[in-house]
Amino acid sequence: MMSSKAQSSNNLAHARRTVQQLRIEASIERIKVSKASADLMNYCSEHARNDPLLMGIPASDNPFKDKKPCNIL
Amino acid sequence: NLMTDESPRVPEMATQEVQPNETLTHLKTESDTLKTKLEEERAKLHDVELHQVAEKVDGLGQFIMKTRRTLKGHGNKVLCMDWCKDKRRIVSSSQDGKVIVWDAFTTNKEHAVTMPCTWVMACAYAPSGCAVACGGLDNKCSVYPLSLDKNENLAAKKKSVAMHTNYLSACSFTNSDMQILTSSGDGTCALWDVESGQLLQSFHGHAADVLCLDLAPSETGNTFVSGGCDKKANVWDMRSGQCIQSFETHESDINSVRYYPSGDAFASGSDDATCRLYDLRADREVAIYSKESIIFGVSSVDFSLSGRLLFGGYNDYTINVWDVLKGTRVSILFGHENRVSTLRVSPDGTAFCTGSWDHTLRV
Repeated sequence: MMSSKAQSSNNLAHARRTVQQLRIEASIERIKVSKASADLMNYCSEHARNDPLLMGIPASDNPFKDKKPCNIL
Repeated sequence: NLMTDESPRVPEMATQEVQPNETLTHLKTESDTLKTKLEEERAKLHDVELHQVAEKVDGLGQFIMKTRRTLKGHGNKVLCMDWCKDKRRIVSSSQDGKVIVWDAFTTNKEHAVTMPCTWVMACAYAPSGCAVACGGLDNKCSVYPLSLDKNENLAAKKKSVAMHTNYLSACSFTNSDMQILTSSGDGTCALWDVESGQLLQSFHGHAADVLCLDLAPSETGNTFVSGGCDKKANVWDMRSGQCIQSFETHESDINSVRYYPSGDAFASGSDDATCRLYDLRADREVAIYSKESIIFGVSSVDFSLSGRLLFGGYNDYTINVWDVLKGTRVSILFGHENRVSTLRVSPDGTAFCTGSWDHTLRV
């Protein structure tokens, strides 16, 4: 059991950490959602043609396409 | 101020005399002020929604995705899996303590190890492909070098690396075999040196169990994101241990977090039945992937290679595929006969693997 003094100094330490953390988070530089969205869209379009799950891949290139089963005993 | 007019000016040290409650009130006020300021700053930049900007993008057609392989061999719920960089091998772990390495092309089991604990909730493949890491209710993360000799007892070479004070929920090698990042039910994440087992950095800030983590793509620097039962997703600086950004918009536990391939954003999956996208430079949530008909929790999420598709494994046994930009669902996949517990896209993006409580994995 913590003495009430220890408990309140614990609360104090926790509150100080919270304030410190919030100060850090509040101070970061941010960009507009419109700019962030545009960048996400650009990334998608630049890499779309290399995305097999998006584009589909021809059966000949698909390593998981079913081939004749081969039993290795 | 407790000093009355009669008392002499007191030196600095006497501030210890000030009631702790007073300072606590000050701190609470400052904390509330900062939180409000944070929301205001974020709101100022919220000029548009992602899906609105994405209206000009072509819609996606119908997707037909088939199960190409079913990996059978676990005797109980599959809890976690990871791909090897060679794009064909997979490591998986299960409730019964078994960790299995598979060749996903042939479905052959190449290695199997029985852990001394049940509920092996975390497993990861080393970048070299020469080792796997795993852990769970033993509160540890252990590394097993994979021997080329199939007859060799893997357990003999086991190396205990991480020690937490509660269950291990997730683990990941960094960009080498030398360091492992872990998350735990003890509310912390930690970075470890594999060779010595030494703790290199610990990450404190979650208020409850940490359930998941993901490392930023190597080009974007030394950060990682974690999600937990406190409904928060935290972004951390690996070198300083500092939490640099925090997001709290989910309404329940966050079971999975995954970086968008550019490293500028990350997705999360939660027991609140939604997936969400957070942009790191805008410092806010920019999309929610949800439907009224989807009421079961999301256990795991991952992006396709371009970031256009988000795959979510759900507790209702299905996989929902989302258009990341437009926010709409493009496909729903059936096949598993119990919860989907883990999901990862292969390193070259040609397939994704899911693990389930139905004891199987599907590719």
